[in-house]
Amino acid sequence: MAEMEVKQSSKKGPGVKKGKKLSTRVDLTPMVDLGFLLITFFIFTTTVSQPTAMNLNMPKDTKDPNLDMKVKNSGSLTLMLGKGNVIYYYFGDDPTKMQTTGYKAVRQIILDKKKSTPAADLFIIIKPDKDATYKNAVDILDEMDINDIGKYAMVDPTPDEYSLIQKTEQAGGVK
Amino acid sequence: MARAKIKRGSTSVDMTPMCDVAFLLLTFFILAAQFKPAEAVEVNPPSSVSNKVAPEKDYLNVTISKDNKVYLMMDPKIKGDVLDELGKERNMSFSAQDKKNFENSDFIGVPFSQLKQFIALKPEQVKGMDLPGIPVDSTNNELKAWISAAINAQMGEQLNFLIKGDDAVKYPTFKAVIDAFKANDQYKYNLVTNSKAVPEGSELYKKNMMEHAAGKKQ
Repeated sequence: MAEMEVKQSSKKGPGVKKGKKLSTRVDLTPMVDLGFLLITFFIFTTTVSQPTAMNLNMPKDTKDPNLDMKVKNSGSLTLMLGKGNVIYYYFGDDPTKMQTTGYKAVRQIILDKKKSTPAADLFIIIKPDKDATYKNAVDILDEMDINDIGKYAMVDPTPDEYSLIQKTEQAGGVK
Repeated sequence: MARAKIKRGSTSVDMTPMCDVAFLLLTFFILAAQFKPAEAVEVNPPSSVSNKVAPEKDYLNVTISKDNKVYLMMDPKIKGDVLDELGKERNMSFSAQDKKNFENSDFIGVPFSQLKQFIALKPEQVKGMDLPGIPVDSTNNELKAWISAAINAQMGEQLNFLIKGDDAVKYPTFKAVIDAFKANDQYKYNLVTNSKAVPEGSELYKKNMMEHAAGKKQ
């Protein structure tokens, strides 16, 4: 850049031919650019690669049915995680009325339920079945976080519900 | 009156010191960066919006690989005690050599019956081996014994339970791991995940924004 000016200002008499003395100075600006670019790159990659942890608190198993938590039918939403990233959901306590959805659309369902129910009654029951994956479970727990759901529980589906899911899967041709 | 002539200096700045600084910093960051230790078991965890950093001290890490096998890693400083406790619980005897081997091993991926042979192997030998994993079936849940040994070794101090599973892990395996923890009266876990941005406009996003705004006012 400015190195040019230095060259231009070197005085040479008219007609005097001298072996041109080239400046040994190299413009280091691009090198500095590169250096800082690499620094920035390394700083960003080191902080991003840190794994995060999601808290999961499970309730104590109780054999005594009296200690089981009572959930109001009007406030409950049951999400059953099935094979092939499909969610089956129903409101209240009637599994036969279950509907099908996916992991993207479930957020709206949760939000609608949250809006239409008093906060104290809202309870989401998550039932991952045998064919659900760990990713499904984490995704749905994450969804609870995203939608700021205070009360939810993760339990196994009842045999009735499981057979219902399997029937639906067979009918829908989910393998 | 002779006016002082303003000297027109060159606008070129010598970049050498700056270059030196840049590369010095670069070298420093590269050397200071903690390289991820080559992972014993390759796992691709799911992502979550959680922004809590996974604890790196006093941990017991249960890793579930994509073929539903369970491996165990732990804080190197409790390893010796864990093996002692395990010996007591399962009536197994470990020689000084076994103990040393155990402390040098990266992870545990075999049932108790093969444990001694497994820890005698060098990490290079373990790589690429088809390991059976730690049994977590309801009939033979060896993970339970490991967890209880680790809890005893930690002697009442806080122990962080990390569970790291692959995306493809089936839910029953994860549940079996949780059951092993539950059998030891442990109900709090940290699921290791990759971080993901909070979706804009969601409830959590609004909550975070409100907290952020409240924090600014104070």
